[in-house]
Amino acid sequence: MISVKELKKTFNGHEVLKGISTEIEKGEKVAIIGPSGSGKSTFLRCLNLLEEPDSGEIWFEDQLITDPKTDINKVREHMGMVFQSFNLFANKTVMDNITLAPVKLGLKTADEAKQTALELLQRVGLTEKADAYPASLSGGQKQRIAIVRSLAMNPKVMLFDEPTSALDPEMVGEVLEVIKGLADSGMTMVIVTHEMGFAREVATRVMFIDEGIIMEENEPVKLFTDPHTQRLKDFLSKVL
Amino acid sequence: MNDISTKFYNAFIVKDRWQLYIEGLGVTIEIAVFAGIIGIVIGCILALMKLSEPKKGHKHSIWWYLATAYVDIIRGTPSVLQLLIMWFIVFSSSKNGVLVASLSFGINSGAYVSEIIRAGILAVDKGQMEAGRSLGLSKAQTMKEIVLPQAFKNVLPPIGNEFITLIKETAIVGYVSLSDLTRVASQISSRTYEAFMPLIGAAVIYFVLIKILTLLLEALERRLRKGDLR
Repeated sequence: MISVKELKKTFNGHEVLKGISTEIEKGEKVAIIGPSGSGKSTFLRCLNLLEEPDSGEIWFEDQLITDPKTDINKVREHMGMVFQSFNLFANKTVMDNITLAPVKLGLKTADEAKQTALELLQRVGLTEKADAYPASLSGGQKQRIAIVRSLAMNPKVMLFDEPTSALDPEMVGEVLEVIKGLADSGMTMVIVTHEMGFAREVATRVMFIDEGIIMEENEPVKLFTDPHTQRLKDFLSKVL
Repeated sequence: MNDISTKFYNAFIVKDRWQLYIEGLGVTIEIAVFAGIIGIVIGCILALMKLSEPKKGHKHSIWWYLATAYVDIIRGTPSVLQLLIMWFIVFSSSKNGVLVASLSFGINSGAYVSEIIRAGILAVDKGQMEAGRSLGLSKAQTMKEIVLPQAFKNVLPPIGNEFITLIKETAIVGYVSLSDLTRVASQISSRTYEAFMPLIGAAVIYFVLIKILTLLLEALERRLRKGDLR
């Protein structure tokens, strides 16, 4: 579904991604772990071109999205993204946050979009917040609504950029539960996370990124119980 | 006591002089409103020019340089001089003083407004634009639906401030023979040989006008802040 070839990215002379290549198949749940500053978030943000890579190719369903001629807005309609800091639209109600893009992009009528939004809100247990503004919600509620907002576009893949890192500990569970439910429904997902237990439980593949390359990747159980590289061993000894 | 009432009578009542103040106030408001509108239009355009993305490998876009030059020139010269240049050089054949003055103040105000708007847009969290783009919305759509409405809230107080400054700055249009409130007051004082009543009277009128405006702006700001509990 997503194919990445020799992806490189430099920020202010510092090479963050030093050539990353991988294939992500339909239905896979890829968890990306690694120390901070390793380039894992940059890699994820390159997948929908929020970060423009310096070189390399990204293919999404036989479309070369790194080609400047590709209409990236059209591609992004199929790739949902959830941010660490939620990024709900502060000037819109929860309902408008969810329906804005589908309606503006002509994918749904206002009524259809509202219907979908209510169904999705029900799934995450936040129907009663439809008319609230983001500022009145807790972090966990904001993130669940941010997930719903992405899902309302009916995406083919979901990208999660440390979705629980900005949450108070007692709210992490409610968000992970929603993501887990999504995984069980068969959604293709790429998740940058520090929640090792969650990566182990939900992911079909765990990717350890360090120093701008994929240092090691494997099925979760194997990766966590039998790490090969010294870097991964060191990393796991610190976080587990 | 008798003296004060005579002065008051001479300054405001005799020959229906109070009408002159009202006409002067009308000119002041007319210039300020037109200039304010021109200033906001120019300010928006300049702000967008300053925020336009540079070509790859360049620090700034060509638009950035043009807008920066404009702001530098306007801020670097006195507004009285700009008014005189507009009246005696650029539009020397024009008979419509109010129009020329409005244009001159609008061009001046645009430079300041552009900085206010630019800062207001930059103050909106970067994540708002990223979220919009990640959903497939274009940059223009996200700007219009998400960023600008939030920027509007940020810029309202300083824009109100700028408009208040503008109203008072129009008091220099006497330089090009326009009869605004200040010039009317000064003319009457030279006719009656008595400065206190006309000048203080004009000052009170300015004060009341600006106080009303301030209250209106505060009410609008309160309404806009509804919805966010920050």
